Amino acid sequence: MTGARRAALRSPIETLGATAMQVAREAGGITLLAGRVLRCLVPPSMDGRELTRNMYRMGNRSVPIVALTAFFVGGIMVIQAGMYVRQFNATGLVGWGAGYAIFREIGPVLIALMFSGRVGSNNTAELGTMTVTEGTMTVTEQLDGLRALAIDPIRYLIVPRVVAMMVMLFILTVVGDLVSIAGGMLFSRLLIGIDPSTFYYSLVDNLDWIDFVHGLVKSAVFGLSIALTSCYFGVSVRGGAVGVGRAVNAAVVAAAVSIMLLDFFLTFLLP
Amino acid sequence: MSEDRPATGPRQRIERLGAAALDGLAATGQLAGMLGATWRGVVRGRRPPGEVANQMFVVGNKSLLFVAVTLGFIGMVMVYQSCLQLERITGDLSRIGPEFLKLLVQDFGPTITALMLATRVGAGIAAEIGSMVVTEQVDALRMSGVTPIDYLIAPRFIACVVMGAVLTVFGVAIAYLAGGLTAWSSFDLNPRLFFDPSRVGFLDLCLGLTKTLCYGMAIPVISGACGLRARGGSEGVGAATTAAVIGSSLAVIALDLVISGVGLLLVGHGR
Amino acid sequence: MRPAPPIRVSRLEKAFGRRRLLAGVDLDIPPGSRFGLIGPAAGGKSVLLKLLVGLIAADAGEVTIGDDKVTGASEDALMAVRQRVGMLFQNYALFDFLSVGENVAFPLVRRGVPRDEIDQRVRDRLRAVGLAGSEGKLPSELSGGMKKRVGIARATVARPEIVLYDEPTAGLDPVTTSKIYDLIRADQAETGCTVVAVSSDVDALVGFADRVAMLHQGEIRYQGPAAAVRDAGDPAVRQFVRGELEGPL
Repeated sequence: MTGARRAALRSPIETLGATAMQVAREAGGITLLAGRVLRCLVPPSMDGRELTRNMYRMGNRSVPIVALTAFFVGGIMVIQAGMYVRQFNATGLVGWGAGYAIFREIGPVLIALMFSGRVGSNNTAELGTMTVTEGTMTVTEQLDGLRALAIDPIRYLIVPRVVAMMVMLFILTVVGDLVSIAGGMLFSRLLIGIDPSTFYYSLVDNLDWIDFVHGLVKSAVFGLSIALTSCYFGVSVRGGAVGVGRAVNAAVVAAAVSIMLLDFFLTFLLP
Repeated sequence: MSEDRPATGPRQRIERLGAAALDGLAATGQLAGMLGATWRGVVRGRRPPGEVANQMFVVGNKSLLFVAVTLGFIGMVMVYQSCLQLERITGDLSRIGPEFLKLLVQDFGPTITALMLATRVGAGIAAEIGSMVVTEQVDALRMSGVTPIDYLIAPRFIACVVMGAVLTVFGVAIAYLAGGLTAWSSFDLNPRLFFDPSRVGFLDLCLGLTKTLCYGMAIPVISGACGLRARGGSEGVGAATTAAVIGSSLAVIALDLVISGVGLLLVGHGR
Repeated sequence: MRPAPPIRVSRLEKAFGRRRLLAGVDLDIPPGSRFGLIGPAAGGKSVLLKLLVGLIAADAGEVTIGDDKVTGASEDALMAVRQRVGMLFQNYALFDFLSVGENVAFPLVRRGVPRDEIDQRVRDRLRAVGLAGSEGKLPSELSGGMKKRVGIARATVARPEIVLYDEPTAGLDPVTTSKIYDLIRADQAETGCTVVAVSSDVDALVGFADRVAMLHQGEIRYQGPAAAVRDAGDPAVRQFVRGELEGPL
C-alpha cells in the first residue's frame, strides 16, 4: 500500500534480528520493574486500600469469564476422553483423565490466558491511559502528577496491582478447576452416560494432592508474569489512542508467550 | 466499563444474571448479523486494492514466530505429561505418537492456534479499527460512501480464514515435531514409533478443518465488531481490545465444545 | 452545479445515556448561506452536525436535506445523500494509512472520476489550501494546521453542494484563522454551496457567517442574521457572544 507499509517488508533476517532486540529490551525492562516491585514487597509496604480495591475489581470482572471458560473446558476434556471410552469401554478412566489434564495443565494455562485477556489487558489500558498525552486536548500524565505529589507510583499504583493479580489468579484457578470438574461431570453424564459418582471416584482414587498443587504453583507464577508484563507495557505506552491499543496487544501477546514458556519449565521442574 | 456497586441481595444477583444472559443472546444475534454482512462484503468486493494481500501478510508474518514458539512448547508439555502418566500405568509408549497426532489434528492444533491468534490478531484488529473509530476516520469513510464492513472487516476476514488455516497446519507440524523430540530425549522413544500418522482418520480431518474455518471466521468478526463499537478516546480503544480478546477466546472455546460434541455424537452413531 | 438544497431540522432530540444533548432543535438553513452554529463547549454542536448527515441516529425529530429525509433512512439511502455533502471533522480524521494525495483523492475515487482528472483536481485543491506539492507526504508528517487544511481540501474536492465544518479553526492562531475563513468564503463564492460551520471561536465565526444559531442546553436560543446576534433579545445569548462574565450563564 503506502510507503510505510512497504518499508516493513525487510529481509527475514533483519526482521528476526529486530524482533530479538525488541524482545531483549522488553525482557530487560520487565526484569527491572520486577526488581523495583520486589524491593517494595520486602518488607511489605503498599497502599492497602488500593490493594483491596484492585482485588475486588479484578475478581468481579473475571469470575464470569473464567467460570464460563472452565465449564466449557471441562466439557471439551470429557469429550476428548469420551472417544477413548468408546474404544476401550473404560468409563472408570474419564474422571481421572479429565482431572489430571485439568489440574496440571489445562486449568492453570487456560485460566491464566483468560485472566491475561480480561484483567491483564484492562490493566495495561488503564495504566496506558494514565501515561499518555491526548493530542492537543487534555494532557493525561497522571503518573507524573503522582510524582509531583511525592508519591512513588511504583508503591502506590504498581505493587498493589501485581499482588492483587497474583492472588486473584490463584483463587480463580482454584475456583476454575472446580467448575471444570463440575462441567466435566455434567457433560460426561449427558454425552457419555457416565454416572457422576463414577466420575468422582475415578478422579479421587487416581489423583493426588500433588497434582492439584502442581497446577496452583503454576498459576501463582503465571499471575506474577501476567502482572509484570501488563504493568510494564502499560507504563511504557507512547502515542495516544493508537499507542494504547498497541500496548494492550503487545502485553497480551507477551503474557501468552511467557505463560507457555513458564508452563514448559515448570512442568519439568515441579513433581 | 463502569464499576458496578455490589448487588444488595440474591434477587439483584439473579436479575443481573438474567440481564447478562439476555445481553449475551442479543450480542450473539448481532454477531450473526455481522457475519452475514461480512459475507456480503466479501462477495461484493468493494475494498482497497491489495488490502487482502496486505492483511494476509500482517496476520501471517506477525504470528508465525508466536505460533511456532507457543505450539512448540505446548507440544513438548503435552507429550511429556502423557508419557509420564502412561509409564506409570502401562509402560508402553508406542501408541503415544499416533494418538497425539490424532488429538492435535482434531482438536488441540486448531484450538490452541486459534486462541493464540485471538490474542495476537484479534487484539490487533480491534485496536486498529477502534482507533479509526475514535479518531473519526470511520465517520469520514462513511461520508465518502464506504461501508466500514466492506472496507475494513471483509479483507481481514479473508486474511484470517486463509492464514488461520495455514498457521494451524504449521502449528500442528511444530507441536508434533516438538513432541517427538521430547519423547525421544526424555523417554528414549523411537522416533519411528512416534511419527506415525496411521490413527488420523477422515472424521478427525473433517473436525479439524471445520474448527479451523469456524475459528478463522469468528475471530475477525468479533474483533471487528468490538473495534467498531469503540467509544471515547484511548480508554475506548483499550476497552475494545480487551473485549475482542475475551470475546474471540470465549467463542473459540464454545465452538470447540460444540463441534467436538457433534463429532462425538457422530462417532457414537458410527459404531 | 445544481443549486444547493435547503436543510431543515425539526424537533430533533438526542440523548446519550442520561445526558440530553438536544431537546427539540429546530433549524432552517437556507441554500447557499454561510450558517454558523455557536454555543458552550461540549454542548452538542458536533453531534448536531453529525445528525445532519445521519452519522448518528436521532432519538426523535426530523432532518431533511432538500427532498431527502435523513432521519430514519437506511445506510444505503444515506450514501446517496452524503454524495452531496462534504465534511471537515474536528480532529481532521485523515486516513493515516493513505498519503495526503490519496486522502484528498478519496471522495473522487469513490465517485468513479477518471484518474487524470482526479490528479488535476487534487493538485488544484492542495494549491488552493496552500499545500501545493505535498501529495506524497503522510498525515503523520504534518502539523495540526496542515492536517486541517488537508481535511478542508478533502471535504471540498468533490464540489459538494453542502459543506460541514466542525471546528475549522480550533487550535489555530488568529492569522491562520482569518486565512481559513477567507478560503472557505472563496470556495463558496465559486460553487454557491451551503456552508455550515461549528466553532467555539465566536468572534471569528460571527464575522464569517451571514446567519447564526446558538445552541444552549439542548435548545436553539437564537437563529437569525449574524449581524444582529450581539443585540439578541435573549440575555444568555448576549452574554455568550460578548464574552461577558456576568449573566445567566
